[in-house]
Amino acid sequence: MEFVTLAHGSGGRQTAELIDRVFRAHFESPVLTADDAAVFELGGRVAMTTDGFTVSPWKFNGGDIGKLSVCGTVNDLACMGARPEYLTCAFIIEEGFPLSHLEEIAESMRETADKAGIRIAAGDTKVVGRGQADGIFITTTGIGRIAEGVSTSGSAARDGDAVIVSGDIGRHGCTILLAREDLGIETDADSDCAPLWDTVSDVLDVCPDVHVIRDATRGGVGTVLYEIASQSGVGIVLDRAAIPVDGRVSGVCGLLGLDPLYLACEGRVVIIAPNSRADDIVAALRAHQPTAAVIGRVTSADKGRVILSTEIGTRAILPFPGGELLPRIC
Amino acid sequence: MNEKLRAAAEILSSYHGPKLRIMEVCGTHTHEIFRHGIRDLLSDDITLISGPGCPVCVTDISYIDEALYLAFEKNCIICTFGDLMKVPGSELSLSKAKAKGADVRMVYAPSDSLDIARAEPDRQVVFLSVGFETTTPASCIAVEKAKAEGIGNFTLLTANKTMPGAYRALMGAADAFLYPGHVNAITGTAVCEEMKELGVSGAVAGFTPGELITALAVTVKLLGEGKPFFVNCYPRVVRPEGSPSAIKLMDRVMAPCDAEWRGLGVIPMSGMELRDSYADFDARRRFDVPSFKGRIIHGCSCGDVLQGKCRPTECRLFGKVCTPDHPVGACMVSDEGACSAYYMYG
Repeated sequence: MEFVTLAHGSGGRQTAELIDRVFRAHFESPVLTADDAAVFELGGRVAMTTDGFTVSPWKFNGGDIGKLSVCGTVNDLACMGARPEYLTCAFIIEEGFPLSHLEEIAESMRETADKAGIRIAAGDTKVVGRGQADGIFITTTGIGRIAEGVSTSGSAARDGDAVIVSGDIGRHGCTILLAREDLGIETDADSDCAPLWDTVSDVLDVCPDVHVIRDATRGGVGTVLYEIASQSGVGIVLDRAAIPVDGRVSGVCGLLGLDPLYLACEGRVVIIAPNSRADDIVAALRAHQPTAAVIGRVTSADKGRVILSTEIGTRAILPFPGGELLPRIC
Repeated sequence: MNEKLRAAAEILSSYHGPKLRIMEVCGTHTHEIFRHGIRDLLSDDITLISGPGCPVCVTDISYIDEALYLAFEKNCIICTFGDLMKVPGSELSLSKAKAKGADVRMVYAPSDSLDIARAEPDRQVVFLSVGFETTTPASCIAVEKAKAEGIGNFTLLTANKTMPGAYRALMGAADAFLYPGHVNAITGTAVCEEMKELGVSGAVAGFTPGELITALAVTVKLLGEGKPFFVNCYPRVVRPEGSPSAIKLMDRVMAPCDAEWRGLGVIPMSGMELRDSYADFDARRRFDVPSFKGRIIHGCSCGDVLQGKCRPTECRLFGKVCTPDHPVGACMVSDEGACSAYYMYG
C-alpha cells in the first residue's frame, strides 16, 4: 500500500506528483489553475465562510471527512441564503496516511461539490509527522452569492414565528459517537450528512422572507435554538412529541442517557419563519426529506430560554447545552 | 394523558394538607422528574428531595485520587463510565488527567475493558467499578470471565455500594422514599418491606412519566392514611424476589464492606469488595495502592443536599464557583446529580 510521506509535503517533485495524482485528477475545473490564486467575477451581495474538519474516524456510515468538509461549508452559505459558488480546501495530512484513502476523500469531495453546485477553486496540502495530526484534517472556505431579497440572521426570530426542522435530528452525532467510542452498540444508523442548498433554495422560493436559517451541526438543534433565543432576545417553546427522531437514534440515546436535541446533524437546518408560511415551507422541505416538521414556536416570554412542552402537558426547561457528551452509567 | 394518569396528576396538584417530603433516591428519577417537568404538577405542599442514588455523586474524592495514582504511578490503562470523567479528585479529574497524558478510556460496560485487556496484554487495565446493585453484577461477570480465561492484566478498583445501608442512614430525611426501580429489579423488595417495619414508607417507581406520576400519587394518597406502607408501583420490572441469579453472582464474587459515601460518611456494610478468592483482580491489592485522604472542600454542601437537609440552591457555592462546567461537589458532576439538575433545569 502507498502512503503519504513527509516528502509529499516538501514542495518538490513528490508534492507535484501528489497534487497531479489526487487533487488535479479529482478537482479538474477551469477555475482551478496552477497559479497562486483563483481568479473569477462575482457581483452582488456575497457570503463567505470557513470551517475546519477533524472527524474521527475519517469514514463513517453515510459519509466521510471529504463529503463533510464540503457539506459543512456549503450549508453555512445556504443558511445565509447564498448560492454556493466557489470552494477552497486545505489539507493537513499525517505522514503514513494511505494514498488510496486520500483519493477516496478527494473523489467524495468532488462528488459532493458537484451535487451542491460549488466549484473547487484552490487548494493546499501540508504533511505533518506521525502523531502530529489524526490522519487527516481538512479546512474549506466557501463563497456564495446571496439570493435577491433574502436576509436571514440569527437575530431575526420574532414572537409567533414557527420553528421548523428540515428532517429527523441527531443522526450524524449518533453515528459518529458509536463509530468513535466502540460502545458495543450496533445499529445501521447513518449520518444525515448532505449538501442543503437545493433544499434551502426551494424554501426561499416559497417564502423569501424566512427569518432565520441555521444548520444544526456541533451541539445539535438544542444548542442552535439557544443561540437563536439569545441573539434574537426571544423564548422558544418546543413540542417534544413533534420533534422528529429516527427510532434507531432515540434507542441509542435512551441507552446512553443522551438527548437527540444535542446530537450534531450535518444535513439538517433549523428554519424560523412567519407562522403563516409554515405549511408551505414544510411541504417544500418534505419534497427533500419526508420527516421535516414544525417543532415549536417563538415567544416573547421566557427570553433566552428553550422550553419543552412535554407529552404529559407539563413544561420543562431544555437544559442549557455545554461540555462534552458523556454516556451515563445507568 | 390518559384518564388514569390525569387522575393521578390531579391527586398531586390538588393535595392540601400537612407538608409532605418525598425523597427520590435514584439519580435517574431526579433527572427524569426534571426532564418531564413533573415538579410542575405538584401542589405547594409536596416537596421532592433528591437523594444519594447517583453512584457518581456518592463516590469519594479519594477514589479518584486512587485511580490517578494507578494511571500516573503504575502506568495502568484506566477504563471508566463516562460520567465519572469529570468528578474532581483532590487535584485533577480523570478528564484533566487524560489531557495531561494519563491513559483514560471511556467504556460502556466492564466487559469492554476486558476486551482492552485482551487486546493489550502488555498493559495493566483497571476498571473503575462504581455503581449500585444495578451495575455491580456486570463488574462481577467481567471478573469471573477474567479468572476463567486466566487474564492477568485486568483488575477492578471497587467503590460499589448497596442501597439498604443508605436507606437506614437517611431515615427521617423524608416522609417517604421513592425507591429506585432498577435497584429493586435486582435486589427484590424485601428491603423495602423491612423499612416499612421500621416505620419508613415508600413506593418503588419506574422511569416513564406515567410511572413516576403514578408512584408519587400512590405515595401521597397513602401518606394521608398515616400508617407506614410499601407499594411496588413498578411490577412490570420489579419482582418481590428480584433477580436471584444476579444476587448469587454478586455473592460469589464480592462481599459486603464498610463504605465511604461522599456527603454521608462511612456507612457500615454498605459497600462491596472482591472476595479473597478474587484478590488477584483487586487493583488495591495488586498494586498496593496507598490510602488517600481526599481534600476537604470548604463550603460545599453536597453532604446536606444528599441527605435532603438543604436544597442545591441553598449551597453558597451553587452556580457561582460550582457549575456543571466547573463542578466543585460531586452532585454537580453527573447529569443525575441533584445540583446539576437544579442548575440545568433552573
